Order: sequence, then structure tokens, then C-alpha cells
Amino acid sequence: MAKNKTLIAVGFEGSANKIGVGVVALDGTILSNPRHTYITPPGHGFLPRETAHHHLRHVLPLLRSALDDADITPADVDCLCYTKGPGMGAPLQISAVAVRALSQLWGKPIVAVNHCVAHIEMGRVVTGAEDPVVLYVSGGNTQVIAYSEGRYRIFGETIDIAVGNCLDRFARVLTLSNDPSPGYNIEQLAKKGEKFIDLPYVVKGMDVSFSGILSYIEATAVEKLKNNECTPADLCYSLQETLFAMLVEITERAMAHCDKTDVLIVGGVGCNERLQEMMRNLKNDLLRKNNIYIPRHCCPQMLHSETNGRRPAAVDSRRSTRATFAGRKDAWVADAHLRFGDVYRQKINTAIV
Amino acid sequence: MDPMASDAGFDVDDRSPASSGWEFACDFEVDYGSEEHANIVYATLAVDKELQPDKVKRQMSISDGKLKVHFEAVEARHFEAVEARFLRASFSAFVDLMILTTQIIEEYN
Repeated sequence: MAKNKTLIAVGFEGSANKIGVGVVALDGTILSNPRHTYITPPGHGFLPRETAHHHLRHVLPLLRSALDDADITPADVDCLCYTKGPGMGAPLQISAVAVRALSQLWGKPIVAVNHCVAHIEMGRVVTGAEDPVVLYVSGGNTQVIAYSEGRYRIFGETIDIAVGNCLDRFARVLTLSNDPSPGYNIEQLAKKGEKFIDLPYVVKGMDVSFSGILSYIEATAVEKLKNNECTPADLCYSLQETLFAMLVEITERAMAHCDKTDVLIVGGVGCNERLQEMMRNLKNDLLRKNNIYIPRHCCPQMLHSETNGRRPAAVDSRRSTRATFAGRKDAWVADAHLRFGDVYRQKINTAIV
Repeated sequence: MDPMASDAGFDVDDRSPASSGWEFACDFEVDYGSEEHANIVYATLAVDKELQPDKVKRQMSISDGKLKVHFEAVEARHFEAVEARFLRASFSAFVDLMILTTQIIEEYN
């Protein structure tokens, strides 16, 4: 390994219920990417302290297997990356602490990475998408982003909860399994749905809102299921169709606004094949030469790799102004209070309609 | 190196001078047997400040390859009960990370 010296980054990601350690070469080749997910019982979500304990248990075995799988030694590593935020504070801290200690032991620099930018950059590296409109949909984020005037700018986003959060919490209402993920189990159940139940459709300009839909379906679900008016599958089907139609609509609007032809879907909800299908239908409807990019990690057999350790490492430093070299003292974490959108709205002249 | 074993002394002093407002305190030290290792642990853990500085204070120092840590916390009230909840939460989170750092040093030194 590394006969012809190429720069190698080791990245640590643990902003939510998954911890991953990835080894990536400068050209984007992924040398290893082991990860482990904290899966809670049906009906429960993951809490910061328990999640942090899960990460504590797994971070060192993961690092060991990341180095072994990539067939490298610490001496081959050129920099250490970690997710600075946004995410849950306690879980983020595990990666940050590990990187700080390793950086001193190995004498390697630290690169702090913004989780959201890393999602986008990883998607671009893996798919080769040049300049897409990005639909970033996960358990914590829902945003339509495009690169414009030297920065990533948010053209539309959720004004309350993320789409993945909406799906996850509905899965808890139905007490679906969280293994491998609640969203996956909703997707499988939705395939059996036959009857469409009207739900609120909440698009506000380029923004979307999901919390009202969740409240509505939570209340309706109990009532309708009790009266045998519908099945859990019908509810999953209706929820997915409604949420994804909203997402496709704001994506299309952002494409028209930014005059871009390509779409890149990133984030855990991007694994959903129904969302992928609806986005591909958009391409057919527009009858243009659009490319719809979906990173190959967004496929069922690799469902989990979307939230993974390779993200921090895959960042293209030329474009990601948010990936900064951090001195050890600056290697702190920014927790969930700082939502990506909030930070951006404060820091840039917003180009939002 | 077995820093967690013999020299880790704990001294929990509850309800010391009530006038100070910092009702609970806890002292402990870990002997890393190496100034360098103690420095690495110190530098790794010093970055994250206590999240509620008005409720928990943490001070760290190094001498002779030993990391000394001092916590002080205000009391937490739950109905009639007076609890050391803030101290307990900060202490346990800190020790978790200290153990992680120590394991990293043991494995990759």
C-alpha cells in the first residue's frame, strides 16, 4: 500500500446513531469504511448519552479494522478528519476526542468537517456530479442546496422537522423495527399499501413543513386503524407519497431558479427507492437532459453506508469552505443547536427567494 | 502502563462550606507514569469546556506524570431531595472520555 505516495485521510464520523471510521485516498478512492449502528428497540429513538456510550464501545475496534482493511499503518496517514457538527453533542465528542489524542500520538494534522458539506462532497466524489442541485434528506436535515456565487447556498429547507425525523417518528407510532433503520421498514411496508389517504401537503415557496403532517397522521392512524378503515401499509404508502412529492416539487423549483439540470440526492432518506423513482420521473417529465445522481451507497444492500466514516474524509477542500484545518485547541464540536441552515443564514447574504 | 489501578484516589467531599455555593466537590488523580502521556490526555480533554459553567467547574493540572482533576458543582434539587446530579453527570462523562484517551495511548503509543 502507498508505494507511490498519495495523501491518505482517516475520517471519524459519529454525529448521530452510527459511528464510522473511513480511510480515503486523495483521489477519492475509499480504502476502508467500517461502521456500526446503534439500534434502539421498536418505539424508541436514540438518546445522546446512550448513543455516546455506543460510540465509545466501538470507536477503537472500528479504527483498528479501518487501518487493517486499508492495509495501512499510522505512518501512512496524512491527516485525521472528524465531524465537527452539526449533530448530537455527546456522540460528536467521541470522534473529536479520539482524533485529538491520535493527532498528538501520530503527529498528524486535524481537519474539522461540516457534516452537511461532507454529505454533498462525498456525493459528488462518488457520482462524478459536476454542479448539481442537491437534495439533502436525512434524519436531521432536509434542504435543497446549490453551489452559487462561490458558496453552497440553501434554496429551500424544512421549517420544522426533517423528513427522516418525520418518517422515524411515524415508525415509532406503528412500533416498526429500527433494524436496519425505521425508514427502510416504512419503505417495505409502503410497498403493500393500496389505499391513498389524503394528508396535508405543506409546501411554502421553496420550503417545506412536516410536523403538521406528522401530527395529523399520528392522530388519524390510531383512529383509522381502530375502525379498520385502513392498514398500516396504507398509511406508510400515503405518508411516503405525500412527503416525497413535496421534496420533488421544491427540488424542481430550485432547479428552475438556479438554471441547473442535474440533481444529486444525499442523506439517509436518499436510500429510499420510491424517492429515487419519483426523482427520476421528474427527469422524464421535464423532457430535458437531466442527470439524477444517486450515490451508490443509497441502495438497499448498502443502506447504512450513507451515514458513514468516509464522509468526512471525502471532502474536497477546494470547494468546501467549511472544511478547515483545526489546531487541536480548535478541535471542538458544534452540536445540534447550530443547524446548518441557521449558521448559513447568519453568515451569508442569503440568496433565498 | 496501568494508569487506572493503584494511584487513582477519589475524594468526594459533600456539603463543604455551604456559603461558597459549590456544595459538591470531587478530586482524583491518575498516574500515567509519563509526563508526555499525561500531557496528551490533558491536551485532549481540556478542549471541551464544561457545558454548564454556572453549575459545574473543572480544573486539571499535571505534575510528575500525574493528571489531577478537581470538580466542583452546585446541588441539584428534585422536590425535597438534594442531589449531586450535576457533579455525577460531568464526572461520569469526563471519566468515559479519559478512559478512551488512555486506551488510545495504550494501543497506539
